[in-house]
Amino acid sequence: MGFFLEVLIGGLLAGVLYSLVALGFVLIFKASGVFNFAQGAMVLTAALALVRALDVFEQWHWPFAVALLSAFVFAAVIMAIIAWAAERLVLRKLVNQEGIILFMATIGVTFFLEGLSQSLFGADVYPLNVGLPKDPVFLLESLFDGGILVNELDIWAAVIAGLLVAGLALFFQRTRIGRALRAVADDHAAAQSVGIPLNQIWFIVWLVAGLVALVAGTVWGSKLGVQFSLSLLALKALPVLILGGFTSVPGAIIGGLIIGAGEKLAEVFLGPSMGGGIEIWFAYVLALLFLLVRPQGLFGERIIERV
Amino acid sequence: MADRVRSLTDVLLSVESISLSFGGVKALTDISFDIKKGEIRAIIGPNGAGKSSLLNCINGFYHPQEGAITYKGQRRSRMRPHEAAEQGIARTFQNIALFRGMSTLDNIMTGRNLAMRTGLFWQALRLGPAEREEIDHRKAVERIIDFLEIQHIRKVPVGQLPYGLQKRVELGRALAAEPELLLLDEPMAGMNLEEKEDMCRFVLDVNDEFGTTICLIEHDMGVVMDISDRLVVLDYGKKIGDGPPEAVKHDKAVIDAYLGVSH
Repeated sequence: MGFFLEVLIGGLLAGVLYSLVALGFVLIFKASGVFNFAQGAMVLTAALALVRALDVFEQWHWPFAVALLSAFVFAAVIMAIIAWAAERLVLRKLVNQEGIILFMATIGVTFFLEGLSQSLFGADVYPLNVGLPKDPVFLLESLFDGGILVNELDIWAAVIAGLLVAGLALFFQRTRIGRALRAVADDHAAAQSVGIPLNQIWFIVWLVAGLVALVAGTVWGSKLGVQFSLSLLALKALPVLILGGFTSVPGAIIGGLIIGAGEKLAEVFLGPSMGGGIEIWFAYVLALLFLLVRPQGLFGERIIERV
Repeated sequence: MADRVRSLTDVLLSVESISLSFGGVKALTDISFDIKKGEIRAIIGPNGAGKSSLLNCINGFYHPQEGAITYKGQRRSRMRPHEAAEQGIARTFQNIALFRGMSTLDNIMTGRNLAMRTGLFWQALRLGPAEREEIDHRKAVERIIDFLEIQHIRKVPVGQLPYGLQKRVELGRALAAEPELLLLDEPMAGMNLEEKEDMCRFVLDVNDEFGTTICLIEHDMGVVMDISDRLVVLDYGKKIGDGPPEAVKHDKAVIDAYLGVSH
């Protein structure tokens, strides 16, 4: 029982990290109907900007807190520039085009960002330390023999993800801009007619997605080091989105948890009988099965077309 | 209804010989007309005559290649839709364009988007000035909901409402902005008789009670002749008639366009 719980909790905590990446996709999809393939590249860019700026500031012997804060501000500014450029140079030219065309455009943005960020900030593996504790801890030692082994970093990641989701929920549900974002998601023309400027809204939503990417990049970077493979997280977010639904913030969280936990449990309990290594593809099979049963995802909006 | 006494003098909006084409297709050719403050102005014409295009020009969705539009004495160039909204022009759409996932209340609240001013942080927490502002806007929205008699569907997501009610919510959202000029694109299309009568009543009441100037496109001739002060008649992108209902009704060019005389 203790071992099962340990695997389950480890999986759920890993799932939180998938959720963080999936969140960025959901935000942009909700507000503009664009599947932003570049979200992974944005995570990479944000993490690279953060880690390199932090290195430089530390070389200048700034106090750690100041250096860290300045590095975050620097990375946030980079994400703002990317959001501005994406709106100005790509989206604005493609207003009212088919979803697939916008999707192709974001693939272009992906390659561009991957190249640009690596030539600006370097292409090595950079260890990132933002002061999050990384020690393994044992929980519930009184209940189970030997307790449950958990990494503190994963717990912090879960706390950060929780705060982020709460903040986003308040932003979307309570504020004027949140309401405007939901309006734009539903109908572009109608939103414009009530005085919502599309361009500004798109900039805001890409900026928010960029900041979410920064958070995801910080947590993933702390865990694995900042490296090119962060960009491939986009592929891992795909099954999460299929499970949770492309339009639901809670869906991204629950989807991430299911994928994370399912992956680990499958690896440990099914893996040995199937020759192991199933963690890599298990998520995709789960997503495939899910598509057959509930194509709109757990929390996605059901699309009913009137004919 | 036709005997409403009016003294319409001030011009609110004037369209001066605008032409609009999409590639080689001419949608509008050399159209001029004006809308006076406080009147109900109807645009009529057969299908494809360019009525919606004309409305889209006024609202800033399209920009005519030639001619000019003057609104409240100001000539405007390449105005965008949200700027039109800022200057007091609200509209509804031919194919209902509501925010389907949101409730009736939230839909109408978006209409007040422009009037909201407090900072994001306070809004998120519903504290201090933001709370007072939210309450004020809610009051205004509730008045509109009462006015349109849609109290019972306040919390229902509009995607689930029947067509006639959706049209009413869309009118509500346009009214929430307290516009000076209200553009209605076929507000009664696809409605049954009872719904049409309700909608007519709302349009007239809006005009009477709030003094809103209204420009509407409508196919139902009975309705148009009843409620509008003046008509513009379009056919093939050209203006073929302009004047009060009685005059237009007997105009030969208009009768030809509607009854079909070989061109």
